[in-house]
Amino acid sequence: MTDVPRAVDRLDDLVSLDTGEIDRTIFSDQEIFDLEMKNIFGRAWLFLCHDTQIPKRGDFFEAPMGSDNVLVVRQRDGSIRAFLNTCSHRGNAVCRAEEGNVRNFMCTYHGWTFGLDGELVGVPGKSIFYKDKLDLSKHPLRKVAQLDTYRGFVFATFDETAPPLEDYLGATGRLGLDMIAERGDMEAVPGVQKFTVHTNWKFTVDNVFDYYHPQITHMSAFSVGLIPAPPDDFVEGGAKSDTGANLEVPFLPTDLHNFVVVGEYGHAISGPDQESLEVTAGTEPFAWRHKPEVEARLGRHGGRVAGHPHIFPSTWVTTNAQLSLRVPRSPDVTEIWWFSFRDRNSSADEQAASLDSQIHFFGPAGMLEQEDGENWAQSTLQTKGLKSREIPQLLKMGLGTSEVVKEDGLAFMDAPINEHAQLWTYHAWREWLRNPSWEELRERTIPRDRY
Amino acid sequence: MTIEATTKSTVDAMVLQHEVEQFLYHEAALLDSHSYDEWVDLFTADAHYFMPLRRTMTRRQLHLEFTKPGEMAYFDEDKNWLEIRAKKFATGTSWAEDPPSRTRHLITNVRIVEDDGDELAVHSNFLLYRTRLKNDVDQWVGRREDRLRRVGTGLAIVKRFIYLDQTVLQSGNLSTFF
Ligand code: FES
Ligand SMILES: [Fe+2]
Repeated sequence: MTDVPRAVDRLDDLVSLDTGEIDRTIFSDQEIFDLEMKNIFGRAWLFLCHDTQIPKRGDFFEAPMGSDNVLVVRQRDGSIRAFLNTCSHRGNAVCRAEEGNVRNFMCTYHGWTFGLDGELVGVPGKSIFYKDKLDLSKHPLRKVAQLDTYRGFVFATFDETAPPLEDYLGATGRLGLDMIAERGDMEAVPGVQKFTVHTNWKFTVDNVFDYYHPQITHMSAFSVGLIPAPPDDFVEGGAKSDTGANLEVPFLPTDLHNFVVVGEYGHAISGPDQESLEVTAGTEPFAWRHKPEVEARLGRHGGRVAGHPHIFPSTWVTTNAQLSLRVPRSPDVTEIWWFSFRDRNSSADEQAASLDSQIHFFGPAGMLEQEDGENWAQSTLQTKGLKSREIPQLLKMGLGTSEVVKEDGLAFMDAPINEHAQLWTYHAWREWLRNPSWEELRERTIPRDRY
Repeated sequence: MTIEATTKSTVDAMVLQHEVEQFLYHEAALLDSHSYDEWVDLFTADAHYFMPLRRTMTRRQLHLEFTKPGEMAYFDEDKNWLEIRAKKFATGTSWAEDPPSRTRHLITNVRIVEDDGDELAVHSNFLLYRTRLKNDVDQWVGRREDRLRRVGTGLAIVKRFIYLDQTVLQSGNLSTFF
């Protein structure tokens, strides 16, 4: 073994905002993964579920928080609490269902029983075996440090010093969630899709902003008309098939008009600008936003977002009222969870049409997402080769060519398809790994004036 | 009932069982040879093809284990969507299936649970084994509830509900049919 410096000891070298190069080892290094669990997922506000998934007293939903799993539980007084799904006695999971409704949680190992509020309320043999010497109040289920909701989206953090949720989200993160909340009186569609991809979680995150890949990765979806593209507009000569034939790579009006927002703590939004997308797709998919109150609330810049918001570290908001959680399970295993939403006030036909599009685009059988996983799995594999992993990951597109405009609390750029948001995410990721104070972290993730 | 009549109804049942099984095996062979257009032709114009999500629930709440139509699902298809999926696989640019997966649909425990003369309710179990690239392996086991209709050419699928024996899917996609 040669003395290759450990990746965790050379954080400075892993991401370069100047060259747009990323060190590939970050996608398979176990120590990096462990540091991510501790310094990112152990501190950040993480999305757990939507308020409407647990409407009744005793409703619960099990959600991942980094390397832990928490139970999100509706309380008697209507509030929500979340605690680690591990018994305070000897560690067994106190709940083995993914969701449901209970009066209390009884551990199936020795029967310790916890109330909806996580308090230990029953211990078999409390008098006979423990001689009444066990102080029940000292052994509740362990609560998250802070829990809060933003417009029905439930988040929690393990860090009691974390800033309030709204500050953490900032204008960029809030705008992302507004893209669902502003559609109407939103509720979760029953059923969260969950599937497993053999890839590093960061590949699934940077792809959120990747408007360079659909033309190739999802070419078959363009061909059958799932993604509207002008019939005769192709870019010739870039991609050639294995027989040497030019692939007809669809070219969209939106490709020249992307709108990128970068925010503190690493949140970002990237993708088509609203107006150019409506030219391509027609106005219908965005009818919900052409109401004066909605336009006013989104603001003159927020209203231009028609791409993909991402809330650092792992929550993606789509353009059709879905939210995807990228759940790291190990350096090369990531679960993808899909939460879907509908407007309670829309008609049965409208709800059916919305669900139809949600089912057919994303998820493991989605006609877009079917194609994504293998690219990420193969990319992850190639970060393990002794020589392959020495090759940098390139995020150079548009590098150094975009002015940042700062207005209304947003920092944004107008550019053709680019890789600014991906690089921004990796920059923030590196700063998180250094484990600075919250104030330092915020300062180091204030956008510059040019990218 | 006479012995002859009993024998006749047993023979009729066996013939019907044979016909249904052969139909399901034929269908499986079409899928395993990636003959998706011909496979979609086996569905009626009003077909409904549905694979719900499944959730680990306690025994007491097991009635909520599967999502229902109108809720989130992995597949919720009419014939038109099945045709679009088949067309997509045939584009030559559906990279999830290029190189193609090697699949084997093993269909077992075929039971005709209802026969009203026009339509049959048929339950079956399946094991769908898939390998991809050099060493990717996926296995899906589950059961299907079909409604088959007697049509001029034999049988056609009116309804297929697919219940997978997994909650968190262990595979990276479902770029196949069940
Ligand atoms: S581990 Fe839970 S009661 Fe013992
Ligand atoms: Fe994609």
